[in-house]
Amino acid sequence: MFIDFFYKLKEAGIPVSPTSFLTFHKALSMGLIGSLNDFYTASRSILIKSERYFDLFDQVFAHYFEGAEMPEPDGMVLDEMARVLLESWLKNPRILADALGMDASELNKLSPEELIEYFKARLKDQTGEHHGGSRWIGTGGKSPVGHSGFHPGGMRVGGESRNKSAVKVAMDRRYKDYSLSGPLTRPMVGEALKRLRHMIPTGPKDQVNVDATIYQTMKNGGEIEIVFDRSLKDRLKVILAIDNGGWSMDPYIQVVQTLFDYARDQFKELKTYFFHNTIYDVLWNDTARYKKPQRVDEFVRLDPDTRMVIVGDASMAPYELMATDGSIHLEERSGQPSIERLRFIADTFPYSVWLNPVPERMWNFTQSINAIRRIFPMFELSIDGLEKAVGHMMAK
Amino acid sequence: MTEPIKIIPFSGANKYILDEELAAIVNISMALEMPLLLKGEPGTGKTMLAHAIAEALGMPLVVLNVKSSMKLVEALYQYDTLTRLNDSRFSDSDRDVSDIEAYIKMGKIGQSFTADERTVLLIDEIDKADTDFQDDMLDVLDQMEFDIIEIDKTISARHRPVIVITSNAKKDLSDPFLGRCNFHHIAFPDPKMMRRIIKVHFPEIDTALMENAVDTFYRMRDLDAVEKRPATRELINWIRALKFDPDFKPKQLTKGDIPYLGVLFKKSEDYQKVAATVQRRRLL
Repeated sequence: MFIDFFYKLKEAGIPVSPTSFLTFHKALSMGLIGSLNDFYTASRSILIKSERYFDLFDQVFAHYFEGAEMPEPDGMVLDEMARVLLESWLKNPRILADALGMDASELNKLSPEELIEYFKARLKDQTGEHHGGSRWIGTGGKSPVGHSGFHPGGMRVGGESRNKSAVKVAMDRRYKDYSLSGPLTRPMVGEALKRLRHMIPTGPKDQVNVDATIYQTMKNGGEIEIVFDRSLKDRLKVILAIDNGGWSMDPYIQVVQTLFDYARDQFKELKTYFFHNTIYDVLWNDTARYKKPQRVDEFVRLDPDTRMVIVGDASMAPYELMATDGSIHLEERSGQPSIERLRFIADTFPYSVWLNPVPERMWNFTQSINAIRRIFPMFELSIDGLEKAVGHMMAK
Repeated sequence: MTEPIKIIPFSGANKYILDEELAAIVNISMALEMPLLLKGEPGTGKTMLAHAIAEALGMPLVVLNVKSSMKLVEALYQYDTLTRLNDSRFSDSDRDVSDIEAYIKMGKIGQSFTADERTVLLIDEIDKADTDFQDDMLDVLDQMEFDIIEIDKTISARHRPVIVITSNAKKDLSDPFLGRCNFHHIAFPDPKMMRRIIKVHFPEIDTALMENAVDTFYRMRDLDAVEKRPATRELINWIRALKFDPDFKPKQLTKGDIPYLGVLFKKSEDYQKVAATVQRRRLL
């Protein structure tokens, strides 16, 4: 029973295991499932093991039981945009009406469904213009302008989930936010970095070493001698170097900020430096890259076990990397091309990685990325990439 | 090992508001004898659920608070070598030194296995521990038994406990572990649900106060750039504070006069940001 459904889920890319499918059948045969609602709840809690797949599950469920359209990627983007538009419409209709060149009072007469259709039609017309993520769409959901407390046609979006049929709930796609492709959030970064630790004994001797205690006691002929040890603490040293200059990194500021915030809490010994595009003779302690220089040469004095994490898009003109005096900043004249300095850093810290916010499939198109990849192991700044990077840094 | 399970439909406890979906999942997990893994934002009531189940079904609750350095053995049992060493040296206790079992103490999981009646076992924040911990626990939860190595004795669960596991992190636990659990993600309650939750905590709350407080709360939650968004717990404490203040009038909130922001926002940056926004806009 429902084997199709199982395979539909699998096809959609949800990791469902046969074991859990059998468990689900056990639930069916125990008579625990008496309605489609039960079916929805039970199958989801038994088969799906992460909220990231809830959204996909909802879509497959709606498709299987109601024949709802399986979404095409394009349609999904449009849906999402239309939804964002609707939200900002609810917050402040006038702004949106102005943006669309429509009369607010005219839009006002449309029902929610008509509104969505209308938005979609408008978006389709204008795909050319809005592809770059025109700002008012991107930020539409969080328009800083206060809402006017005005609801067209008295409609509500979302909410009201108690007495809906399962299919309707599924069609709501409540779990969209958790989809895999979402942005890097703090807990995700935290989880990925968790394995990055180096345990060494520190602090007061407050843990009883049972084996040593027994040994010593025996040696003393039965006179008890309790041996204490220090407990293990994480003492990993980490250097984080962030490319914070230039417009090319601007789109990734949020992601990098998240990484940086987390690193600051997580590591006892964290040094953060900044650079622009690539590293020459100095890294900077201050974000303005002006006041507090740190000479790269001095890194040899640091513990070579330090984990060096460089975050940057590694995208620049080839001469910035290869030429002596390649820096676009006049005051950085060193006599050594940046690529030599990078090699020096990679040699000094064997455990170093380069995290690149540019998606991996784009790397081949940029010459400087390829050059740097040959020096530092490069990973994408995503959850997957972070995990691989941590794996690399913890490898013995 | 376990007697046939009576399915006692679980439908919420005194202080816990349960949505139907979650109730169904709890009942299914109990019937299938599978641990229920709960994820969700802090403050969505993951831990409270276990308390509520225990209360509703009249079972004792055993809580295992997972710590980052914890080994599974600690959760199962402890062998008190030092006391034994001491007893063997001074022999002034009534324990029999040659009987190792006298020095074995049950940990939380052990307690729930050996209890005289069926218990609810809450394994709280399992993601804090290493993946080893989860992997080791698999067998124990699967077989409902564990070995005490020192005395070569197998402890089997006398009554299969109802197991609730919570996790805060967004990351998945290991696959084999997930395979043995039922999974649910608790979303943050919507305003309607929130009103019901508040009603349960403050049965005779003034309607104006509740409406305004909930309204203001959700709008402040929506503010951008707030890192630690206030959760249910904060809202309840905040309402308690508002109720306690004799000078406070619910109308103030609609005018943008919001006292006790510190109850809602615990990080100083968040607090300053919100206070500034409230000051500037007076629209909250």
